[in-house]
Amino acid sequence: MNAVGGLFVIAGALLALVGAIGVVRFEDFLSRIHAASKAPTLGLILVATGVAFELGTLLAFSTLTLLVALQLLTAPVATHMLGRAAHGHVEVHLDGEDELARDKLLWAAASNASAETDGSGAAPSAEPPGP
Amino acid sequence: MTSIALAIISAAAFVFMYRVLRGPSLPDRAIALDGLLTVVVLGVLVAAGETGSSLLLATVLVVVLASFVATSAIARFVERRGA
Repeated sequence: MNAVGGLFVIAGALLALVGAIGVVRFEDFLSRIHAASKAPTLGLILVATGVAFELGTLLAFSTLTLLVALQLLTAPVATHMLGRAAHGHVEVHLDGEDELARDKLLWAAASNASAETDGSGAAPSAEPPGP
Repeated sequence: MTSIALAIISAAAFVFMYRVLRGPSLPDRAIALDGLLTVVVLGVLVAAGETGSSLLLATVLVVVLASFVATSAIARFVERRGA
């Protein structure tokens, strides 16, 4: 493996290791989400760059571009979904206001009000208004 | 140089595995599994760079998508049933 590609690959591997250490050492679930999703994704970008330097073919370059684009699109979405779903089920240490709890109360109150004015007997849900 | 990178990636995978085993709740384990799959993709990419095989590159595309689907499924499960 040539020098430039090898350097990128080692940098990406070090980023993945830093992310792994962060997942173990952080004491809060929401902090672990940051470490587990951001650092390996950036490591993937660096390693893909290094492998593209090494291989150099058009097929490898296009496949690696597709891989990086897919990871960038899907990994933050999945971890955000997991963090939002685990709200209220895991213990968190917040240093500010719990905005999701506040918003859930607001949505529940809004759907309560709309259910009363509609006269329907549907049970109010804690789901946010649809897109 | 690839052996150094593979050693670092193996260490990162072991450290993620610790969180998978130890995580006090289900979302912790799901997050660590997502990171573990990304680290596995890193390792296979290094191997693909070493051998020049395009089959390995096509395989890790599927692994990335599968990890996204798995994490989303666990998120929906946690939302309905609780951790």
